[in-house]
Amino acid sequence: MTFVVPIGPQHPALKEPEFFRFEVRGEEIVDVDIHLGYAHRGIEEAFSRRNYKHNIYLSERICGICNVVHSTTYCQAVEQLAGVEPPERAKYIRAIIMELERIHSHLLWLGIAAHQIGFNTLFMLAWRDREYVMDLREMISGGRVHSATNTIGGVRRDVKIEHVPTFLRGLEKLEQSTNYYINLFKSDRTILARCTNLGVLSKEDAIKFCTVGPTARASGLKTDIRRDDPYGAYDALSFDVAIERDGDVWAKGMVRLREILESIQIVRQALKEMPGGPIRIRVGLQIPPNETIERTEAPRGELLYYIRSNGTEIPERVRVRTPTYGNFASMKSMFVGGTIAEIPIVIWGIDPCFACNDRVTLVDSRTGKTRIASFDELRRWRK
Amino acid sequence: MMEVVNFVINSLIFPGLLFASLVGLLYVGIDRKVTGHMQHRIGPPIWQEYLDMGKLLSKEDITPGPAQSLVFNTVPLIALGAIVAVMLFLPITSAQPALTSVADLIVIIYMLNIPAICIMLGGYSSGSPFGASGAGRYVVQLLSYEFVFILAIIAVVARVGSLSLGTVVGYQVQQGWLVLDWRLLPAAIAALIAAQGKLLRVPFDIPEAESEIVHGALTEYSGPKLAIWRLAYDIETIVVAGLLAALFFGGPTAYVIGGTQIPGVVDFLVKTLAIVLFTTTLRNIMARLRIDQALKFYWSFAALLAIISLVLVLAVP
Repeated sequence: MTFVVPIGPQHPALKEPEFFRFEVRGEEIVDVDIHLGYAHRGIEEAFSRRNYKHNIYLSERICGICNVVHSTTYCQAVEQLAGVEPPERAKYIRAIIMELERIHSHLLWLGIAAHQIGFNTLFMLAWRDREYVMDLREMISGGRVHSATNTIGGVRRDVKIEHVPTFLRGLEKLEQSTNYYINLFKSDRTILARCTNLGVLSKEDAIKFCTVGPTARASGLKTDIRRDDPYGAYDALSFDVAIERDGDVWAKGMVRLREILESIQIVRQALKEMPGGPIRIRVGLQIPPNETIERTEAPRGELLYYIRSNGTEIPERVRVRTPTYGNFASMKSMFVGGTIAEIPIVIWGIDPCFACNDRVTLVDSRTGKTRIASFDELRRWRK
Repeated sequence: MMEVVNFVINSLIFPGLLFASLVGLLYVGIDRKVTGHMQHRIGPPIWQEYLDMGKLLSKEDITPGPAQSLVFNTVPLIALGAIVAVMLFLPITSAQPALTSVADLIVIIYMLNIPAICIMLGGYSSGSPFGASGAGRYVVQLLSYEFVFILAIIAVVARVGSLSLGTVVGYQVQQGWLVLDWRLLPAAIAALIAAQGKLLRVPFDIPEAESEIVHGALTEYSGPKLAIWRLAYDIETIVVAGLLAALFFGGPTAYVIGGTQIPGVVDFLVKTLAIVLFTTTLRNIMARLRIDQALKFYWSFAALLAIISLVLVLAVP
């Protein structure tokens, strides 16, 4: 006999509202159904009602954790539409802030993952060390979380020369603690017992379900937009793409921890090699009719922006595809055959960000029923 | 007449409900404060449990629709009653407990299981999938730690040759702590591991794993009923620690330091606090296991320790 365990829309394992309907037999999961759409905010519609300048701030608010990568992708896309190239120094500053964001996002992941497996001490320690990177971000951009640094045609704040020594000290502390966590992850018996061989995503499935980011890299897929399709300053920066082969939760965590070390190296390199010069150029907002696709590597994976302009100050259409959306399809193959105890950590294994991800739900206001729109239907709505 | 008055004082004031709840709540408060410091937080004040208890007791008493039943409403009280009754069988001021019987260890083992069974009943009758899931896990956990716990106690009983806790403490006054006896050291370790599971502490907080099944069997409880559960849990902490102290760590001993008589209850409090802090340390340096892993751990490693101890006690005079 199976019975249904509802995880969500409100559940301690989830930090945001989303609904997972698990069918379980005893402790074993036999089926899972994912209902999206609880955090739909109408962002894409809002994009096509504001001008290009206002939209920078809107794109930053799609996700609290990875706000810089959203605004960078948006600004890069608009710069492409307008046919301008930001100054070199601005590209480096963007890269530094994006890498700091990756570090902070991955440490946040580590903390919550530890909480999901009941290791609250590691949770608190990881978030304590996350404060270092938050302080660095505050120093460089003025905001601990929302930096509001990007603008179309460059960045708004420069990195001051007197900040660099403090910066390097902060990075050193981060490197020490990350190395400590990597050792802990490799050696702690209870962490190994709770994270290895569960939520396994094979390499074939990772390719089949088009997974992105650390989820794909943990399954042995060497994919990283920074390397495959370099943008901004990443052409000039050298770094390794961390991959693991096992595809389980442990591998996903290990990929993230090793990416922190890579990010620290990237930031050091960028600070050293950063050219001088202006940090922004002026861009006129009357952008001629055009369309573009811009891809970046967010902490959670590939982030894609599609923008179509029509000659006015307001974009005609902005489409955002967040990494979590790319990873949802792979979840079923991770869950089935596992146990209830695995649910929180496996969900958290892909580092989901539901508010980023929710776009379209159709709710019939008369009957209150939700339904899924077909692709053809969506195409007909295209203006 | 005197006996009745004595019994009432024993069960309600000392060492019964009042004393047990004051000390139990304080110990869990200390546990939370120490946990906070271990995790680089400030942590709540050590009297936080009293405040929480007051808050819960002053809340509205809500019973959810599907859980309307006699069982759901009465099990918290039965659990509290049982655990306070165990307090009366523990040696607290001297080797002699407030209530004695010929084989009080058997009574204690039985009474200590009643709260666990009550939690299961509460979970199953709550009409919530999380409650049922938590209760199911609790059954498995009970089957894993109880065997180890009983084996460890049997090893002690075989060594001392008596089922009475008073005699066990008296034996230790003459022969030294049983934990220092090399034959019983494995049993003491096994009993501490079993206590970790009995008190639902990490890595064995599986039946109430909050990130998996909300609050397990107690998910649907709120207000005063939850307060009674918390009280029962907090008293269980001190009862289990007190039982371990009496079995392996010499029990309460009265000392004379510099001419002043220090009553046995002080010794009892110090020893139980030390045991509670030991379990606190354990729970802060580990992640939670899965229920199958916990079962395997108890029936292989922990049970092996207890059996070795029992065999040594029987084989080596």
